[in-house]
Amino acid sequence: MEQTRELTFKSPGFYERLKSMLGVDFYRLFHTPMFYIFLAIAAIIPAMVLSMTGMPNEQGETVKLYENTWNIIAADKPLYIINSMGDYANMNMVFIFGGIMVSIFIGHDYKSGYVKQLFTTHSLKADYMMSKSIAGAFSMMCMCITYLCGGLMAGVITGADMSVNIGSLLLAILGKMIMSLGWGSLYTLLNVVFRRYFGVSITLCFVIGTGIPVIGAAGLMGNNSGLNILLYGSSVNACLSSNIGTLLTCAAVSCCWALVYNIWGSYILSRCDVY
Amino acid sequence: MNEKINAIEIRGLTKSFRGLYALDRLDMTVPAGAIYGFIGENGSGKSTTEKLICGQLVPDKGKIRLFGKSYKNPGVRARVGALIENAGCFPNSTVYQNLMMQAINLNLKNRSEEMQRVLKIVRMENNAGLKFKKCSLGMKQRIGIAMALLGDPALLILDEPINGLDADGMRIMREILVDITQNSGCTVLISSHILGELEKIATHYGIIRQGKMIEELTAKEMESRSRVFTSVRAKDMQNTFLVLRHFFRNVRAEDGCVRVYDVDDTEQIAARLMENGIIPNELKKNKIGLEEYYTQLMSRKEAG
Repeated sequence: MEQTRELTFKSPGFYERLKSMLGVDFYRLFHTPMFYIFLAIAAIIPAMVLSMTGMPNEQGETVKLYENTWNIIAADKPLYIINSMGDYANMNMVFIFGGIMVSIFIGHDYKSGYVKQLFTTHSLKADYMMSKSIAGAFSMMCMCITYLCGGLMAGVITGADMSVNIGSLLLAILGKMIMSLGWGSLYTLLNVVFRRYFGVSITLCFVIGTGIPVIGAAGLMGNNSGLNILLYGSSVNACLSSNIGTLLTCAAVSCCWALVYNIWGSYILSRCDVY
Repeated sequence: MNEKINAIEIRGLTKSFRGLYALDRLDMTVPAGAIYGFIGENGSGKSTTEKLICGQLVPDKGKIRLFGKSYKNPGVRARVGALIENAGCFPNSTVYQNLMMQAINLNLKNRSEEMQRVLKIVRMENNAGLKFKKCSLGMKQRIGIAMALLGDPALLILDEPINGLDADGMRIMREILVDITQNSGCTVLISSHILGELEKIATHYGIIRQGKMIEELTAKEMESRSRVFTSVRAKDMQNTFLVLRHFFRNVRAEDGCVRVYDVDDTEQIAARLMENGIIPNELKKNKIGLEEYYTQLMSRKEAG
Protein backbone atom coordinates (compact mmCIF):
# COMPACT_ATOMS: atom_id res chain seq x y z
CA MET A 1 0.00 0.00 0.00
CA GLU A 2 1.57 3.22 -1.06
CA GLN A 3 1.66 5.85 1.61
CA THR A 4 2.06 9.26 0.04
CA ARG A 5 2.61 11.47 3.07
CA GLU A 6 4.19 11.60 6.47
CA LEU A 7 1.78 10.97 9.31
CA THR A 8 2.35 12.96 12.47
CA PHE A 9 0.38 12.66 15.68
CA LYS A 10 0.80 15.64 17.96
CA SER A 11 -0.92 15.06 21.28
CA PRO A 12 -2.81 18.14 22.44
CA GLY A 13 -2.12 19.02 26.07
CA PHE A 14 -4.73 19.43 28.80
CA TYR A 15 -5.17 23.20 28.35
CA GLU A 16 -5.39 22.85 24.58
CA ARG A 17 -8.07 20.19 24.86
CA LEU A 18 -10.04 22.06 27.50
CA LYS A 19 -9.78 25.28 25.52
CA SER A 20 -11.14 23.62 22.39
CA MET A 21 -14.00 21.94 24.23
CA LEU A 22 -14.89 25.13 26.06
CA GLY A 23 -14.77 26.86 22.70
CA VAL A 24 -17.39 24.46 21.37
CA ASP A 25 -19.62 24.86 24.42
CA PHE A 26 -19.47 28.65 24.41
CA TYR A 27 -19.97 28.80 20.65
CA ARG A 28 -23.07 26.65 21.06
CA LEU A 29 -24.25 28.64 24.06
CA PHE A 30 -24.04 31.96 22.21
CA HIS A 31 -25.49 30.60 18.96
CA THR A 32 -28.62 28.97 20.34
CA PRO A 33 -31.70 30.86 21.57
CA MET A 34 -31.95 28.73 24.73
CA PHE A 35 -29.24 30.69 26.57
CA TYR A 36 -30.90 34.05 25.89
CA ILE A 37 -34.33 32.67 26.79
CA PHE A 38 -33.01 31.58 30.19
CA LEU A 39 -31.32 34.94 30.72
CA ALA A 40 -34.65 36.60 30.01
CA ILE A 41 -36.48 34.22 32.36
CA ALA A 42 -33.93 34.99 35.08
CA ALA A 43 -34.66 38.71 34.63
CA ILE A 44 -38.44 38.44 34.40
CA ILE A 45 -39.07 36.12 37.36
CA PRO A 46 -37.66 38.38 40.13
CA ALA A 47 -39.40 41.38 38.59
CA MET A 48 -42.68 39.47 38.63
CA VAL A 49 -42.16 38.19 42.17
CA LEU A 50 -41.24 41.62 43.49
CA SER A 51 -43.95 43.59 41.79
CA MET A 52 -46.86 41.23 41.46
CA THR A 53 -46.75 38.48 44.03
CA GLY A 54 -48.34 38.90 47.38
CA MET A 55 -50.54 37.20 49.88
CA PRO A 56 -53.70 38.59 51.41
CA ASN A 57 -53.47 39.53 55.11
CA GLU A 58 -56.19 39.12 57.74
CA GLN A 59 -58.01 42.15 56.37
CA GLY A 60 -57.90 40.70 52.90
CA GLU A 61 -55.40 43.28 51.64
CA THR A 62 -52.60 42.09 49.41
CA VAL A 63 -49.23 42.38 51.10
CA LYS A 64 -46.06 42.53 49.08
CA LEU A 65 -43.76 39.55 49.53
CA TYR A 66 -40.82 41.86 50.22
CA GLU A 67 -40.65 45.30 51.71
CA ASN A 68 -36.95 45.57 50.83
CA THR A 69 -35.90 45.25 47.18
CA TRP A 70 -32.71 43.36 48.07
CA ASN A 71 -34.58 40.49 49.68
CA ILE A 72 -35.21 39.36 46.13
CA ILE A 73 -31.43 38.73 45.98
CA ALA A 74 -30.87 37.10 49.37
CA ALA A 75 -32.47 36.62 52.77
CA ASP A 76 -31.50 38.87 55.69
CA LYS A 77 -29.69 36.06 57.48
CA PRO A 78 -28.65 32.46 56.65
CA LEU A 79 -31.71 30.27 56.66
CA TYR A 80 -31.55 26.53 56.65
CA ILE A 81 -35.21 25.93 57.33
CA ILE A 82 -37.43 27.94 55.09
CA ASN A 83 -40.08 29.78 57.07
CA SER A 84 -41.80 31.64 54.30
CA MET A 85 -41.87 31.67 50.55
CA GLY A 86 -40.36 35.17 50.61
CA ASP A 87 -37.26 33.92 52.43
CA TYR A 88 -36.81 31.30 49.80
CA ALA A 89 -37.67 32.98 46.51
CA ASN A 90 -34.41 34.84 46.05
CA MET A 91 -31.40 34.56 43.75
CA ASN A 92 -31.21 30.85 44.60
CA MET A 93 -33.94 30.45 41.97
CA VAL A 94 -31.17 30.89 39.39
CA PHE A 95 -29.98 27.43 40.39
CA ILE A 96 -33.37 26.01 39.39
CA PHE A 97 -33.25 27.68 35.97
CA GLY A 98 -29.59 26.68 35.66
CA GLY A 99 -30.42 23.04 36.38
CA ILE A 100 -33.04 22.95 33.66
CA MET A 101 -30.74 24.71 31.20
CA VAL A 102 -27.78 22.40 31.87
CA SER A 103 -30.10 19.40 31.45
CA ILE A 104 -31.30 20.63 28.07
CA PHE A 105 -27.75 21.57 27.04
CA ILE A 106 -26.27 18.16 27.86
CA GLY A 107 -29.42 16.30 26.78
CA HIS A 108 -29.01 17.75 23.26
CA ASP A 109 -25.43 16.46 23.17
CA TYR A 110 -26.69 12.92 23.62
CA LYS A 111 -29.91 13.25 21.63
CA SER A 112 -28.17 14.61 18.55
CA GLY A 113 -25.28 12.15 18.82
CA TYR A 114 -22.79 15.04 18.98
CA VAL A 115 -21.21 13.55 22.08
CA LYS A 116 -20.03 10.65 19.90
CA GLN A 117 -18.27 13.10 17.60
CA LEU A 118 -16.59 14.65 20.64
CA PHE A 119 -15.32 11.40 22.07
CA THR A 120 -14.20 10.11 18.68
CA THR A 121 -11.68 12.94 18.53
CA HIS A 122 -9.09 13.88 21.15
CA SER A 123 -11.56 14.93 23.86
CA LEU A 124 -11.28 13.02 27.11
CA LYS A 125 -14.18 12.28 29.43
CA ALA A 126 -12.72 14.51 32.14
CA ASP A 127 -12.50 17.40 29.65
CA TYR A 128 -16.18 16.93 28.89
CA MET A 129 -17.19 17.05 32.57
CA MET A 130 -15.06 20.10 33.20
CA SER A 131 -16.20 21.98 30.13
CA LYS A 132 -19.90 21.39 30.80
CA SER A 133 -19.49 22.38 34.45
CA ILE A 134 -17.78 25.63 33.47
CA ALA A 135 -20.31 26.40 30.72
CA GLY A 136 -23.16 25.69 33.14
CA ALA A 137 -21.55 27.86 35.82
CA PHE A 138 -21.01 30.68 33.33
CA SER A 139 -24.68 30.51 32.30
CA MET A 140 -25.82 30.68 35.92
CA MET A 141 -23.47 33.60 36.62
CA CYS A 142 -24.96 35.44 33.66
CA MET A 143 -28.44 34.61 34.98
CA CYS A 144 -27.42 36.05 38.37
CA ILE A 145 -26.61 39.32 36.61
CA THR A 146 -29.88 39.46 34.64
CA TYR A 147 -31.72 38.41 37.81
CA LEU A 148 -30.12 41.35 39.63
CA CYS A 149 -31.07 43.70 36.80
CA GLY A 150 -34.67 42.42 36.73
CA GLY A 151 -35.03 42.69 40.50
CA LEU A 152 -33.46 46.14 40.61
CA MET A 153 -35.70 47.51 37.86
CA ALA A 154 -38.82 46.10 39.52
CA GLY A 155 -37.71 47.56 42.86
CA VAL A 156 -37.30 50.99 41.32
CA ILE A 157 -40.65 50.77 39.53
CA THR A 158 -42.58 49.54 42.59
CA GLY A 159 -40.80 51.97 44.89
CA ALA A 160 -39.78 49.27 47.38
CA ASP A 161 -37.23 50.09 50.10
CA MET A 162 -33.67 50.10 48.74
CA SER A 163 -31.68 50.46 51.96
CA VAL A 164 -28.90 47.88 52.25
CA ASN A 165 -25.33 47.33 53.34
CA ILE A 166 -23.71 47.48 49.90
CA GLY A 167 -20.69 45.42 50.94
CA SER A 168 -22.81 42.57 52.25
CA LEU A 169 -25.06 42.72 49.20
CA LEU A 170 -22.08 42.46 46.84
CA LEU A 171 -20.61 39.61 48.89
CA ALA A 172 -23.97 37.80 48.79
CA ILE A 173 -24.21 38.19 45.01
CA LEU A 174 -20.60 37.11 44.55
CA GLY A 175 -21.13 34.17 46.89
CA LYS A 176 -24.08 32.94 44.86
CA MET A 177 -22.21 33.47 41.59
CA ILE A 178 -19.24 31.50 42.92
CA MET A 179 -21.58 28.69 44.01
CA SER A 180 -22.63 28.39 40.33
CA LEU A 181 -19.52 26.31 39.68
CA GLY A 182 -20.55 23.76 42.31
CA TRP A 183 -24.11 23.68 41.02
CA GLY A 184 -22.95 23.42 37.41
CA SER A 185 -20.80 20.41 38.32
CA LEU A 186 -23.64 18.76 40.25
CA TYR A 187 -26.05 19.19 37.33
CA THR A 188 -23.44 17.91 34.87
CA LEU A 189 -22.94 14.82 37.02
CA LEU A 190 -26.69 14.18 37.25
CA ASN A 191 -27.01 14.47 33.48
CA VAL A 192 -24.08 12.16 32.90
CA VAL A 193 -25.47 9.55 35.30
CA PHE A 194 -28.95 9.71 33.75
CA ARG A 195 -27.75 10.47 30.21
CA ARG A 196 -30.11 7.90 28.73
CA TYR A 197 -33.13 9.22 30.64
CA PHE A 198 -33.57 12.89 29.86
CA GLY A 199 -36.85 13.10 31.80
CA VAL A 200 -35.21 11.77 34.96
CA SER A 201 -32.20 14.06 34.74
CA ILE A 202 -34.20 17.23 34.15
CA THR A 203 -36.65 16.38 36.95
CA LEU A 204 -33.81 15.64 39.37
CA CYS A 205 -32.03 18.88 38.47
CA PHE A 206 -35.25 20.80 39.07
CA VAL A 207 -36.03 19.08 42.38
CA ILE A 208 -32.50 19.46 43.73
CA GLY A 209 -32.33 23.04 42.47
CA THR A 210 -35.49 23.95 44.39
CA GLY A 211 -33.81 22.92 47.63
CA ILE A 212 -36.55 20.44 48.47
CA PRO A 213 -34.01 17.81 49.66
CA VAL A 214 -32.44 20.26 52.13
CA ILE A 215 -35.80 21.49 53.30
CA GLY A 216 -36.89 17.89 53.84
CA ALA A 217 -33.65 16.91 55.55
CA ALA A 218 -33.67 20.01 57.73
CA GLY A 219 -37.27 19.33 58.64
CA LEU A 220 -36.27 15.91 59.91
CA MET A 221 -32.87 16.66 61.38
CA GLY A 222 -33.20 20.27 62.42
CA ASN A 223 -31.42 23.47 61.52
CA ASN A 224 -27.89 22.49 60.60
CA SER A 225 -25.25 24.40 58.62
CA GLY A 226 -23.31 21.19 57.88
CA LEU A 227 -26.42 19.76 56.27
CA ASN A 228 -26.84 22.92 54.26
CA ILE A 229 -23.30 22.67 52.94
CA LEU A 230 -23.69 18.99 52.12
CA LEU A 231 -27.04 19.28 50.39
CA TYR A 232 -27.31 22.85 49.24
CA GLY A 233 -23.77 24.09 48.95
CA SER A 234 -23.55 27.20 51.02
CA SER A 235 -25.96 29.07 48.81
CA VAL A 236 -28.12 30.21 51.70
CA ASN A 237 -25.06 31.42 53.61
CA ALA A 238 -24.73 34.15 51.02
CA CYS A 239 -27.22 36.53 52.62
CA LEU A 240 -27.57 40.24 53.30
CA SER A 241 -25.43 39.88 56.43
CA SER A 242 -22.57 38.24 54.52
CA ASN A 243 -18.97 38.98 55.29
CA ILE A 244 -15.72 37.94 53.67
CA GLY A 245 -15.88 34.64 55.57
CA THR A 246 -19.16 33.85 53.83
CA LEU A 247 -17.54 34.42 50.47
CA LEU A 248 -14.59 32.18 51.35
CA THR A 249 -16.96 29.47 52.57
CA CYS A 250 -18.90 29.68 49.29
CA ALA A 251 -15.66 29.50 47.28
CA ALA A 252 -14.34 26.53 49.27
CA VAL A 253 -17.62 24.59 49.11
CA SER A 254 -18.08 25.38 45.42
CA CYS A 255 -14.55 24.16 44.58
CA CYS A 256 -15.02 21.00 46.68
CA TRP A 257 -18.34 20.27 45.01
CA ALA A 258 -16.85 20.89 41.56
CA LEU A 259 -13.87 18.65 42.28
CA VAL A 260 -15.88 15.78 43.72
CA TYR A 261 -18.59 15.85 41.05
CA ASN A 262 -16.09 16.20 38.21
CA ILE A 263 -14.01 13.25 39.40
CA TRP A 264 -17.16 11.21 39.97
CA GLY A 265 -18.60 12.08 36.55
CA SER A 266 -15.30 11.44 34.74
CA TYR A 267 -15.03 8.05 36.40
CA ILE A 268 -18.58 7.10 35.37
CA LEU A 269 -18.03 8.27 31.79
CA SER A 270 -14.73 6.45 31.45
CA ARG A 271 -16.28 3.18 32.65
CA CYS A 272 -19.44 3.38 30.56
CA ASP A 273 -20.32 3.27 26.89
CA VAL A 274 -21.35 6.48 25.18
CA TYR A 275 -24.95 6.33 24.00
CA MET B 1 6.40 6.63 7.22
CA ASN B 2 6.99 2.92 7.46
CA GLU B 3 4.94 1.38 4.66
CA LYS B 4 4.22 -1.71 6.75
CA ILE B 5 2.47 0.18 9.52
CA ASN B 6 -1.14 -0.72 10.14
CA ALA B 7 -3.74 1.97 10.55
CA ILE B 8 -5.81 -0.36 12.73
CA GLU B 9 -4.58 -3.41 14.58
CA ILE B 10 -7.05 -5.23 16.79
CA ARG B 11 -6.24 -8.32 18.80
CA GLY B 12 -8.62 -10.42 20.89
CA LEU B 13 -11.27 -7.70 21.12
CA THR B 14 -14.27 -8.77 23.15
CA LYS B 15 -17.38 -6.80 23.95
CA SER B 16 -20.58 -7.98 25.56
CA PHE B 17 -23.86 -6.27 26.30
CA ARG B 18 -25.63 -7.71 29.34
CA GLY B 19 -23.96 -11.08 28.92
CA LEU B 20 -24.52 -11.29 25.16
CA TYR B 21 -21.30 -11.24 23.18
CA ALA B 22 -21.30 -8.74 20.33
CA LEU B 23 -17.61 -9.33 19.66
CA ASP B 24 -15.74 -12.46 20.55
CA ARG B 25 -11.93 -12.24 20.44
CA LEU B 26 -11.95 -10.31 17.19
CA ASP B 27 -8.70 -9.80 15.30
CA MET B 28 -8.48 -7.22 12.56
CA THR B 29 -5.70 -5.60 10.55
CA VAL B 30 -6.22 -2.57 8.34
CA PRO B 31 -3.08 -1.44 6.48
CA ALA B 32 -2.44 2.31 6.30
CA GLY B 33 -3.82 3.88 3.13
CA ALA B 34 -6.32 1.09 2.49
CA ILE B 35 -10.02 1.33 1.77
CA TYR B 36 -11.16 -1.51 3.99
CA GLY B 37 -14.60 -2.91 3.24
CA PHE B 38 -16.04 -4.28 6.46
CA ILE B 39 -18.74 -6.80 5.64
CA GLY B 40 -21.16 -8.77 7.74
CA GLU B 41 -24.84 -9.39 8.28
CA ASN B 42 -26.96 -7.29 10.63
CA GLY B 43 -25.89 -7.76 14.24
CA SER B 44 -22.58 -9.36 13.29
CA GLY B 45 -20.61 -6.73 15.22
CA LYS B 46 -19.52 -4.23 12.54
CA SER B 47 -20.87 -1.12 14.25
CA THR B 48 -19.72 -2.34 17.66
CA THR B 49 -16.18 -2.74 16.30
CA GLU B 50 -16.28 0.73 14.78
CA LYS B 51 -17.62 2.28 17.98
CA LEU B 52 -14.89 0.57 19.98
CA ILE B 53 -12.23 1.92 17.63
CA CYS B 54 -13.76 5.39 18.03
CA GLY B 55 -13.69 5.11 21.82
CA GLN B 56 -17.47 5.31 22.07
CA LEU B 57 -17.70 1.91 23.71
CA VAL B 58 -15.50 0.43 26.43
CA PRO B 59 -14.08 -3.01 25.52
CA ASP B 60 -14.29 -5.97 27.90
CA LYS B 61 -10.96 -7.34 26.70
CA GLY B 62 -8.49 -6.95 23.87
CA LYS B 63 -6.15 -4.42 22.34
CA ILE B 64 -6.77 -1.73 19.79
CA ARG B 65 -3.85 0.10 18.22
CA LEU B 66 -4.13 2.89 15.71
CA PHE B 67 -1.02 3.66 13.68
CA GLY B 68 1.03 1.70 16.18
CA LYS B 69 -0.21 3.71 19.18
CA SER B 70 -2.89 3.10 21.78
CA TYR B 71 -6.32 4.05 20.46
CA LYS B 72 -6.76 6.28 23.51
CA ASN B 73 -3.80 8.46 22.59
CA PRO B 74 -5.25 12.00 22.07
CA GLY B 75 -2.74 12.67 19.30
CA VAL B 76 -4.05 9.73 17.27
CA ARG B 77 -7.66 10.42 18.18
CA ALA B 78 -7.35 13.97 16.86
CA ARG B 79 -6.75 12.43 13.42
CA VAL B 80 -9.72 10.07 13.43
CA GLY B 81 -12.91 11.07 11.66
CA ALA B 82 -16.07 9.01 11.90
CA LEU B 83 -19.60 8.77 10.66
CA ILE B 84 -21.36 6.10 12.69
CA GLU B 85 -25.15 5.79 12.61
CA ASN B 86 -25.69 9.53 12.18
CA ALA B 87 -23.78 12.72 11.55
CA GLY B 88 -23.98 13.81 15.20
CA CYS B 89 -25.18 17.30 14.31
CA PHE B 90 -27.49 19.62 16.19
CA PRO B 91 -30.73 19.74 14.18
CA ASN B 92 -31.53 23.38 14.92
CA SER B 93 -28.06 24.61 14.05
CA THR B 94 -26.99 25.32 10.49
CA VAL B 95 -24.55 23.17 8.54
CA TYR B 96 -21.99 25.96 8.97
CA GLN B 97 -22.49 26.12 12.75
CA ASN B 98 -22.21 22.35 13.12
CA LEU B 99 -19.00 22.29 11.12
CA MET B 100 -17.68 25.28 13.05
CA MET B 101 -18.21 23.45 16.36
CA GLN B 102 -16.25 20.48 15.09
CA ALA B 103 -13.53 22.77 13.74
CA ILE B 104 -13.25 24.49 17.13
CA ASN B 105 -13.17 21.13 18.88
CA LEU B 106 -10.31 20.02 16.63
CA ASN B 107 -8.54 23.32 17.32
CA LEU B 108 -8.08 24.02 13.61
CA LYS B 109 -6.14 27.11 12.63
CA ASN B 110 -7.82 28.21 9.37
CA ARG B 111 -11.36 27.22 10.24
CA SER B 112 -13.21 29.00 7.44
CA GLU B 113 -10.86 27.74 4.72
CA GLU B 114 -10.94 24.21 6.12
CA MET B 115 -14.74 24.24 6.29
CA GLN B 116 -14.97 25.52 2.71
CA ARG B 117 -12.57 22.77 1.64
CA VAL B 118 -14.61 19.93 3.13
CA LEU B 119 -17.91 21.43 1.98
CA LYS B 120 -16.50 21.54 -1.54
CA ILE B 121 -15.38 17.91 -1.30
CA VAL B 122 -18.90 16.79 -0.37
CA ARG B 123 -20.52 19.19 -2.87
CA MET B 124 -22.32 21.15 -0.18
CA GLU B 125 -20.65 24.54 -0.53
CA ASN B 126 -23.92 26.23 -1.44
CA ASN B 127 -25.89 24.78 1.49
CA ALA B 128 -23.85 25.92 4.46
CA GLY B 129 -26.61 28.21 5.71
CA LEU B 130 -29.22 25.46 5.76
CA LYS B 131 -30.46 24.17 9.11
CA PHE B 132 -29.38 20.57 9.58
CA LYS B 133 -32.95 19.38 10.20
CA LYS B 134 -34.00 20.78 6.80
CA CYS B 135 -31.40 18.69 4.94
CA SER B 136 -32.31 15.56 2.98
CA LEU B 137 -30.95 12.15 4.01
CA GLY B 138 -28.29 12.28 1.31
CA MET B 139 -27.24 15.76 2.40
CA LYS B 140 -27.07 14.66 6.04
CA GLN B 141 -24.81 11.77 5.07
CA ARG B 142 -22.56 14.13 3.15
CA ILE B 143 -22.48 16.58 6.07
CA GLY B 144 -21.47 13.66 8.27
CA ILE B 145 -18.63 12.92 5.88
CA ALA B 146 -17.64 16.60 5.90
CA MET B 147 -17.57 16.57 9.72
CA ALA B 148 -15.39 13.47 9.62
CA LEU B 149 -13.07 15.02 7.03
CA LEU B 150 -12.35 18.13 9.06
CA GLY B 151 -8.81 18.36 10.37
CA ASP B 152 -7.17 16.16 7.75
CA PRO B 153 -7.97 12.76 9.29
CA ALA B 154 -5.52 9.91 8.88
CA LEU B 155 -8.29 7.40 9.54
CA LEU B 156 -11.88 7.66 8.43
CA ILE B 157 -14.49 5.29 9.85
CA LEU B 158 -17.77 5.17 7.97
CA ASP B 159 -20.71 3.04 9.01
CA GLU B 160 -23.15 2.45 6.18
CA PRO B 161 -22.49 5.84 4.55
CA ILE B 162 -24.31 4.95 1.33
CA ASN B 163 -27.50 3.69 2.92
CA GLY B 164 -30.53 5.52 1.66
CA LEU B 165 -28.63 7.31 -1.08
CA ASP B 166 -29.87 7.40 -4.66
CA ALA B 167 -27.67 6.29 -7.56
CA ASP B 168 -26.22 9.77 -7.98
CA GLY B 169 -25.57 10.09 -4.25
CA MET B 170 -23.75 6.75 -4.27
CA ARG B 171 -21.60 7.85 -7.18
CA ILE B 172 -20.71 11.10 -5.41
CA MET B 173 -19.86 9.23 -2.21
CA ARG B 174 -17.68 6.79 -4.15
CA GLU B 175 -15.82 9.60 -5.86
CA ILE B 176 -15.30 11.37 -2.53
CA LEU B 177 -13.80 8.28 -0.89
CA VAL B 178 -11.49 7.45 -3.77
CA ASP B 179 -10.46 11.09 -3.97
CA ILE B 180 -9.51 11.41 -0.29
CA THR B 181 -7.56 8.16 -0.20
CA GLN B 182 -5.65 8.98 -3.37
CA ASN B 183 -4.97 12.61 -2.57
CA SER B 184 -4.37 12.55 1.17
CA GLY B 185 -3.38 8.95 1.88
CA CYS B 186 -6.23 8.64 4.36
CA THR B 187 -7.15 5.13 5.49
CA VAL B 188 -10.87 4.36 5.20
CA LEU B 189 -12.78 1.71 7.12
CA ILE B 190 -16.19 1.41 5.54
CA SER B 191 -19.03 -0.96 6.34
CA SER B 192 -21.88 -1.44 3.94
CA HIS B 193 -24.50 -3.93 2.88
CA ILE B 194 -24.36 -2.64 -0.67
CA LEU B 195 -21.53 -4.94 -1.69
CA GLY B 196 -21.64 -3.99 -5.37
CA GLU B 197 -20.71 -0.43 -4.46
CA LEU B 198 -18.10 -1.54 -1.95
CA GLU B 199 -16.47 -3.75 -4.57
CA LYS B 200 -15.83 -0.72 -6.76
CA ILE B 201 -13.63 1.04 -4.22
CA ALA B 202 -12.30 -1.37 -1.57
CA THR B 203 -8.67 -2.45 -1.58
CA HIS B 204 -9.11 -4.81 1.38
CA TYR B 205 -12.00 -6.75 2.86
CA GLY B 206 -12.84 -8.06 6.29
CA ILE B 207 -15.76 -10.43 6.72
CA ILE B 208 -17.25 -10.69 10.19
CA ARG B 209 -19.80 -13.17 11.47
CA GLN B 210 -21.25 -13.48 14.95
CA GLY B 211 -18.59 -11.20 16.40
CA LYS B 212 -15.65 -13.05 14.86
CA MET B 213 -13.53 -12.14 11.88
CA ILE B 214 -13.91 -15.07 9.54
CA GLU B 215 -11.82 -13.79 6.68
CA GLU B 216 -9.56 -10.89 5.78
CA LEU B 217 -8.31 -10.54 2.24
CA THR B 218 -7.05 -7.99 -0.22
CA ALA B 219 -8.95 -7.02 -3.36
CA LYS B 220 -6.30 -8.87 -5.37
CA GLU B 221 -6.81 -12.04 -3.34
CA MET B 222 -10.53 -11.62 -3.77
CA GLU B 223 -10.02 -11.29 -7.50
CA SER B 224 -7.92 -14.46 -7.62
CA ARG B 225 -10.48 -16.39 -5.61
CA SER B 226 -13.35 -15.21 -7.74
CA ARG B 227 -14.54 -18.05 -9.91
CA VAL B 228 -15.13 -17.60 -13.60
CA PHE B 229 -18.33 -18.92 -15.12
CA THR B 230 -20.07 -18.81 -18.45
CA SER B 231 -23.81 -18.45 -18.54
CA VAL B 232 -25.57 -20.13 -21.41
CA ARG B 233 -29.10 -19.64 -22.70
CA ALA B 234 -30.62 -21.73 -25.48
CA LYS B 235 -34.04 -22.75 -26.71
CA ASP B 236 -33.89 -26.21 -25.10
CA MET B 237 -32.46 -25.50 -21.68
CA GLN B 238 -32.89 -29.04 -20.37
CA ASN B 239 -30.90 -30.56 -23.19
CA THR B 240 -28.30 -27.79 -22.93
CA PHE B 241 -27.82 -28.62 -19.29
CA LEU B 242 -27.45 -32.35 -19.96
CA VAL B 243 -24.96 -31.81 -22.79
CA LEU B 244 -22.80 -29.40 -20.84
CA ARG B 245 -22.84 -31.60 -17.76
CA HIS B 246 -21.55 -34.42 -19.87
CA PHE B 247 -18.50 -32.41 -20.94
CA PHE B 248 -17.74 -30.17 -17.99
CA ARG B 249 -17.29 -30.91 -14.32
CA ASN B 250 -19.10 -27.99 -12.68
CA VAL B 251 -22.39 -27.15 -14.36
CA ARG B 252 -25.39 -25.71 -12.57
CA ALA B 253 -28.81 -24.42 -13.54
CA GLU B 254 -29.01 -21.02 -11.86
CA ASP B 255 -30.87 -17.76 -12.43
CA GLY B 256 -32.78 -19.10 -15.46
CA CYS B 257 -29.64 -20.13 -17.33
CA VAL B 258 -27.03 -22.85 -17.32
CA ARG B 259 -23.75 -21.88 -15.68
CA VAL B 260 -20.50 -23.58 -16.49
CA TYR B 261 -17.97 -22.88 -13.76
CA ASP B 262 -14.17 -22.73 -13.91
CA VAL B 263 -13.90 -22.94 -17.69
CA ASP B 264 -11.96 -20.04 -19.13
CA ASP B 265 -12.45 -20.94 -22.79
CA THR B 266 -15.93 -19.92 -23.94
CA GLU B 267 -15.26 -21.17 -27.48
CA GLN B 268 -14.85 -24.68 -26.10
CA ILE B 269 -18.34 -24.50 -24.58
CA ALA B 270 -19.81 -23.15 -27.83
CA ALA B 271 -18.11 -25.91 -29.82
CA ARG B 272 -19.53 -28.66 -27.56
CA LEU B 273 -23.01 -27.24 -27.88
CA MET B 274 -22.80 -26.95 -31.68
CA GLU B 275 -21.44 -30.50 -31.93
CA ASN B 276 -24.65 -31.65 -30.22
CA GLY B 277 -26.93 -29.54 -32.36
CA ILE B 278 -27.64 -26.82 -29.83
CA ILE B 279 -27.43 -23.25 -30.96
CA PRO B 280 -26.95 -20.94 -27.97
CA ASN B 281 -28.95 -17.70 -27.79
CA GLU B 282 -26.59 -16.25 -25.26
CA LEU B 283 -23.10 -17.11 -24.17
CA LYS B 284 -21.69 -14.76 -21.56
CA LYS B 285 -18.49 -14.94 -19.55
CA ASN B 286 -18.82 -13.74 -15.94
CA LYS B 287 -16.95 -13.59 -12.67
CA ILE B 288 -18.37 -14.20 -9.22
CA GLY B 289 -18.49 -10.84 -7.49
CA LEU B 290 -18.09 -9.88 -3.86
CA GLU B 291 -21.78 -10.35 -3.20
CA GLU B 292 -21.85 -13.95 -4.40
CA TYR B 293 -18.53 -14.72 -2.77
CA TYR B 294 -19.87 -13.39 0.52
CA THR B 295 -23.15 -15.32 0.18
CA GLN B 296 -21.31 -18.55 -0.57
CA LEU B 297 -18.91 -18.02 2.33
CA MET B 298 -21.80 -17.42 4.70
CA SER B 299 -23.62 -20.51 3.45
CA ARG B 300 -20.49 -22.60 4.01
CA LYS B 301 -20.13 -21.24 7.53
CA GLU B 302 -23.76 -21.91 8.32
CA ALA B 303 -23.51 -25.44 6.98
CA GLY B 304 -20.27 -26.25 8.69
